[in-house]
Amino acid sequence: METTFTSRLGHYWDVYKKFVSTSVSVETSFRTSFILLIFMDLFFFFSSVGSVSFIYDHVVQIGPWQKNELLFFLTFMLMIDNLHMMIFSQSFWEFSFNIRTGQLDYVILKPMNTIFSVFFRHFRASSLFNTPLFLGYLIYYGIQVGLSPFDWLMVPFFVALSLALLVVVEFILSTSMFWLTDGVGINFLRMQMQQLARWPNFIYQGAIRKFLTVFIPILLIGSGPVHFLLDKSAWQLLATMVVALFAFTGILLFIWKIGLRRYDSASS
Amino acid sequence: MFKDLNLANLSKWWITIQISWVKHTAYRLNFFLQIIGPALVFFFVKYNLWASIYAGDEELVIKGFTFEQMINYHTWAFVVSLVAQGHGSWNLAEDIRMGRISSYLIYPFNFWEFHTASWLSFQVIQMIIASITLAIISFFGLVTFPSWDLFALGVAYTLFISLFWFTLQYLTGVMAFWLEETWILRVMLSIVAYFLSGAIIPLDLYPQWLVDILNLTPFPYLTYYPIKIFMGEVANLGLGLGLISFWTVVFALINHLVWKKGIRLYTAAGM
Repeated sequence: METTFTSRLGHYWDVYKKFVSTSVSVETSFRTSFILLIFMDLFFFFSSVGSVSFIYDHVVQIGPWQKNELLFFLTFMLMIDNLHMMIFSQSFWEFSFNIRTGQLDYVILKPMNTIFSVFFRHFRASSLFNTPLFLGYLIYYGIQVGLSPFDWLMVPFFVALSLALLVVVEFILSTSMFWLTDGVGINFLRMQMQQLARWPNFIYQGAIRKFLTVFIPILLIGSGPVHFLLDKSAWQLLATMVVALFAFTGILLFIWKIGLRRYDSASS
Repeated sequence: MFKDLNLANLSKWWITIQISWVKHTAYRLNFFLQIIGPALVFFFVKYNLWASIYAGDEELVIKGFTFEQMINYHTWAFVVSLVAQGHGSWNLAEDIRMGRISSYLIYPFNFWEFHTASWLSFQVIQMIIASITLAIISFFGLVTFPSWDLFALGVAYTLFISLFWFTLQYLTGVMAFWLEETWILRVMLSIVAYFLSGAIIPLDLYPQWLVDILNLTPFPYLTYYPIKIFMGEVANLGLGLGLISFWTVVFALINHLVWKKGIRLYTAAGM
């Protein structure tokens, strides 16, 4: 059983390497777009960090956090954005296009898990160029807020956990494209969810905060790990995040099957 | 360029505006999520952020802004971005990339005329949406209206900026003759314009040296100064109008040249 699982994992890894190499070949053949993408990410990063810095020139703290704490949170979220952009982003756009044109037929016919073949297909190598810079900023602000060696060990794990929760919620949302003629709008909704998650949970109040923590748990993505890293007694959000990840993965597997059954190829 | 702009041709414009209206409103959910949604969420985040910063302290003043004034600023920023910077010229690049411009080369209606008429239709929709949104926001007491003459000036200025934004977006669209993906240029432009125009936070909070530099560029005149008019303060109006007019003409000319150069490269596969 274990051998089967390991060999399947190896098979998926081999396939993913092919996905990456073909994506890199395609992307690098359009060099101007490739370079522009690097600059686009950089502009976004520096405008986000710059905006928060300018606000802190005039206020001492926002909620319970001072400048370095909020910038640590922001760079943590921008690191997740960077990985998201690299590994998943393009696949979401291709998914809506493929449903509309009927090209999804060829994707789901492949002898693989359909979630894997749909959402892991496209890799954006241009984002990889900015990763060292974004990581550098995350490390810098991590030092500023005084992370311990144990915290540093946890950071990669938390980044992976946060990215996993973000994409699982996005996969669920994207499933709604099966019921729509054109799913492009859903991708914009997805981006707005990311925008909401890019700020710590304490800026939202009352029912909105509860809704975005429990029903669509996007506020847990950054706030769960960062609150814990800054204050070990604030573990509840992190625990909720782990539970949410399992619960929403279950929902995804259930709803994805229904979506696939609902899919009516545009080309047939 | 304008030789065909006679009375007979105007009927083509009118029909195109009507067709574009139908196209824009055919997929209402998509239109809402793509055009209105981002501006609404952006406003919602900013409202919550500033509510968190002021934390109910009515005495707190940040660079001349009380909480009410800050929310007033962001409400007008929302309206200005909706009307002035809503259009993205998405179809334009797609027309070129998918080879659909072959039709325009045959039809007695120019490519630029079709897309400008389509933009006019889009602007009417945006004006209606902005009016309804403004009415709802004012119902909650989040916005203060200026005098009627300043309001009219603000609307006129914002519409003028939308023309500038359209010429700029048109340029990113016609770059599709050379680029595989023009959305990157559009997104880059939006990020830079939002950050440097005062759409994210008021320019009053920026370092003075940066504001001095920005005042020499068109950016502050895209959002910050129109908002100031809506907030009852007219500043740098002549300079703003001059700069925006200058860049609108420059971009219109560049668009014309780029089109002429690009059409020579164009091949419609499968036609």
